[in-house]
Amino acid sequence: MSDRITQLRTDFERELSAATAEADATALRDRWVGRKGGLLTAEMKTLGKLSPEERKTTGAELNELKNYVESAIETLLGEFAAKREAEQLAKERIDVTLPGRRVQAGHLHPITLLRQKIEDIFVSMGYEIEDGPEIETHFYNFEALNIPENHPARSPQDTFYLAGERTTELALRSQTSTMQIHAMQKRTPPLRVAAPGRVFRRDTPDATHNPMFYQVEGLLIDRGITLGDLKGTVEEFVRRLFGPDTKTRFRPSYFPFVEPGAEIDYTCFKCGGSGCRVCKGSGWIEMGGSGMVHPNVLRVVGIDPEEFTGFAFGLGLDRLCALMYGLDDIRLLYENDVRFLEQFR
Amino acid sequence: MKISYNWLKEFVDHDLSPRDLAAKLTMVGLAVDAVEEHGEDSVLEIDLTSNRPDCLSHLGVAREVAAITGKSLQMPEVVTGKLSAGTTQVGNVTSVEILNPDLCPRYSARIIKGVKVGPSPEWLVKRLEVMGQRSVNNVADITNYVMLELGQPLHAFDLAMLKGRRIIVRAARDGEKIVTLDKEERELTSQMLVIADAERAVALGGIKGGEDSGITETTVDVLLEAAYFTPAQIRATSKALGLATEASYRYERGTDSEIVPVASARAAAMIAEIAGGEILSGIVDAYPLKSDRKQISLRRKRYEQLTGLKFDVAEAEGILNSLGFEAEISPDKTALKTSAPTWRIDAAIEEDLVEEVARISGYDNLKTTLPGSAGAGAYLPGETGRRAMRGALSSLGYNEAVSFSFVNAEADALLTEVAEGSRLELRNPIDETAGFMRTTLLGGLLKALEHNFNHGSRNVRMFEVGKCFLNIEAERPEEIERLALIATGARNEADWQAASARIDFFDLKATVEFVAESLGLPSLSFAATDSFSHLHPGRSAVISLDGISLGRAGQLHPRVAAEYKFKQPVFVAELDFGAMLNARRAEVRYQPLPKYPTVVRDLALLIDTGVALSAIEKAVGELAIAELVGFRLFDLYAGKELPAGKHSIALSLRYRAADRTLTDEEINAMHERIVGKLTQEFLAEVR
Repeated sequence: MSDRITQLRTDFERELSAATAEADATALRDRWVGRKGGLLTAEMKTLGKLSPEERKTTGAELNELKNYVESAIETLLGEFAAKREAEQLAKERIDVTLPGRRVQAGHLHPITLLRQKIEDIFVSMGYEIEDGPEIETHFYNFEALNIPENHPARSPQDTFYLAGERTTELALRSQTSTMQIHAMQKRTPPLRVAAPGRVFRRDTPDATHNPMFYQVEGLLIDRGITLGDLKGTVEEFVRRLFGPDTKTRFRPSYFPFVEPGAEIDYTCFKCGGSGCRVCKGSGWIEMGGSGMVHPNVLRVVGIDPEEFTGFAFGLGLDRLCALMYGLDDIRLLYENDVRFLEQFR
Repeated sequence: MKISYNWLKEFVDHDLSPRDLAAKLTMVGLAVDAVEEHGEDSVLEIDLTSNRPDCLSHLGVAREVAAITGKSLQMPEVVTGKLSAGTTQVGNVTSVEILNPDLCPRYSARIIKGVKVGPSPEWLVKRLEVMGQRSVNNVADITNYVMLELGQPLHAFDLAMLKGRRIIVRAARDGEKIVTLDKEERELTSQMLVIADAERAVALGGIKGGEDSGITETTVDVLLEAAYFTPAQIRATSKALGLATEASYRYERGTDSEIVPVASARAAAMIAEIAGGEILSGIVDAYPLKSDRKQISLRRKRYEQLTGLKFDVAEAEGILNSLGFEAEISPDKTALKTSAPTWRIDAAIEEDLVEEVARISGYDNLKTTLPGSAGAGAYLPGETGRRAMRGALSSLGYNEAVSFSFVNAEADALLTEVAEGSRLELRNPIDETAGFMRTTLLGGLLKALEHNFNHGSRNVRMFEVGKCFLNIEAERPEEIERLALIATGARNEADWQAASARIDFFDLKATVEFVAESLGLPSLSFAATDSFSHLHPGRSAVISLDGISLGRAGQLHPRVAAEYKFKQPVFVAELDFGAMLNARRAEVRYQPLPKYPTVVRDLALLIDTGVALSAIEKAVGELAIAELVGFRLFDLYAGKELPAGKHSIALSLRYRAADRTLTDEEINAMHERIVGKLTQEFLAEVR
């Protein structure tokens, strides 16, 4: 290797080790391999003056040196860039444990959440959801439902009536069963209808009563429908509502618009039937009334009870809500305290 | 109804423990709520359904137990009629006359002479105590005892106190007075039934005895009443007088007219045995309206059609007979003919028999089946929109409220322009301050807000969707589905970066727009209004779509806010949600993406504060510049240095042509036209 090349390499090594900033590195690049006036660029140009023999060896050595210089500077620049990036990123560090920024979301009413869930189940089982008037005539609220003239439900002790003289006396509906009549008048069997809604009874508010609450009613009319179908349907319904292991129990009971009638119990969703505070130790929770639609009810809407049979079942959403969420006072449901409402999702 | 386990065993010799018995009774429809131990005995608390008054006695429950266990029913010996009686015929001493047989179809009297009224024996006191009743004296206790045993209310008169020693059952006279055993003087009407002697009313028939004809320590001769009263009459009288007794409770639900002489004999025998005395021979039994046993058939076909269970005709016969239905199998063995017992007032039709057989044979035997599929289910029309609205509002921080449908009329009137006669009044509210049906949802939301303020929540956003009611000229009132919003306080909580801002009209407006958008409606228009008395006249708007009003939004009028003692501005909106669900949906059509650049020009104008932005937008629109593709207000400034009555508005105008890049000259020309129009029409100045 020529002395000249050795000298150049030594000079470069010295200058390289002296470069401490990114600007030094770029200056080094301009000085050594810059297109204009770079030391090695200029050196290359002197090669032409040499003999072909010398040109070949010196040229190769010079090229080797140039490659070395370029790569060394490139490496150095890369180190500086990496350092600069690291510094920038460090500067941009945030505390990811600070609270996220969001709009405080609102919450749907627990009755709505439950009602939507129940509607979803009914629809998935082929039922049409039906809605109707909350102010009802005697016919729909009582007569058509086979509720006897002297039944306590009809009394102004139990049912709200509207004041004023009218051709038809009007009451606030005391059960969603009124919708059975509307639904059957609008359709011809076979039919499947579910009606959720507000109902009213003259109960003074206390921890377990409100003068207004929500019910949902399921109704199915077809040929060949039996009590067994009712039981199977209710079983399927509670399994979808509370989980696949839920069991049901039927107890004979009395509701004027069904015969035979049954009270439905289901195994407690909390303890699964072994007995706990929610089910008061019995393992069972009362769901609501049910039964085979009374022949008088079918006749009222012009359905022949010998040809078609059907069942109806109902449940109260407020009580279910109270059990599911452990409410100790159901007046909370209609106080609309945001601290209460925000607990449901 | 309380039932003593030991007492019940006197009727049916079964081997069930109290708990097992309770479980069995529950499963046949007599729901046992509790079993309580009382020394040697246990008491079953039965929650009876209203159709089974026959079970308001030990005999009634015993019949069920007999049917469940298959054991026979044993009547107590004396009940079967072995009565040691004297030689004097009771009919020679007293008489019974029923003037209103429709109200009292049966009235019987027996007389026991020479009794000694005094304390009851220990066993009787104890038994009544177990049933939760206090001992009075031996004669009164026996009438109670027999009622609990056989379900027949009884009344004992002091024969000496009955003028003419006779009984007349008649309607009371309007204004007639009686002092009942509880020493209350009661004024009667001709709708009520009394038991009278030759001169005056001595008892309220089937409800309570009279003060001066009852048993006392000095009573020697007793006239024992056992009767059957029509339920509706007893119910009406009991309600009218506000007087309910164990007797009225049973009579108004329906007692057994056929048990009358049996119960009378049972009580008379017990009185003679315990209180001494001689039973006069026979009974005066006026029974002008005899109850018939209803003839009901049960067909195999019907049973199977309703229950899905196989009909075992022999089993059904056994069950119905054990319940007293006197069943008879038809020759072809496909049906049963029955004769319903008089105590089963609930049994009337074939379906009732279906239930009787099914419940005793056990609902547990029901095979569970699912009805075959029958087409698709469907949500309520508009349910998608309702859920979208709920999603939109909850995402904006609104909590869902649910309020009572009945409200205070004054509070409601403060919030709507509904005419007085359109508000529906309840005849029998439970709360006199909430006696009207709501015509607006705002009352409920304001009440809720008041509650929340009182409990320390100052930042509240709520909505309610539900029905409002209007009296109209029709058979039924109008029920309108509305949506109401309320918002007040901080828009956001102050956080570590940003301060909190207060909710104002424009938050509410954006919320309403967001709801409309969630329903897929075209843009709503908001027009200033001062016609709603509950809203701030300078801060309220009518909201409409296609020229049809959908509702209103604004700041609560300070006067209304003061009524509620609200100290911070409250913003409310109410919309006809039913109309929104039915409104025209915005059509979604693809627009080609712009091929040429958009140029934005800003324009700042000094303009009268009275000029609405909508007026400016309208004026610009009138120029019909097709290339103007955007119009947006981005600043509004009202500073002291500006002339009075003026503010500065800054508009961002966007220009673009569909087929070419616009030149500066073209844009300048269009922009100048806009500036010219606005300066001329509104005397605006370019800033």
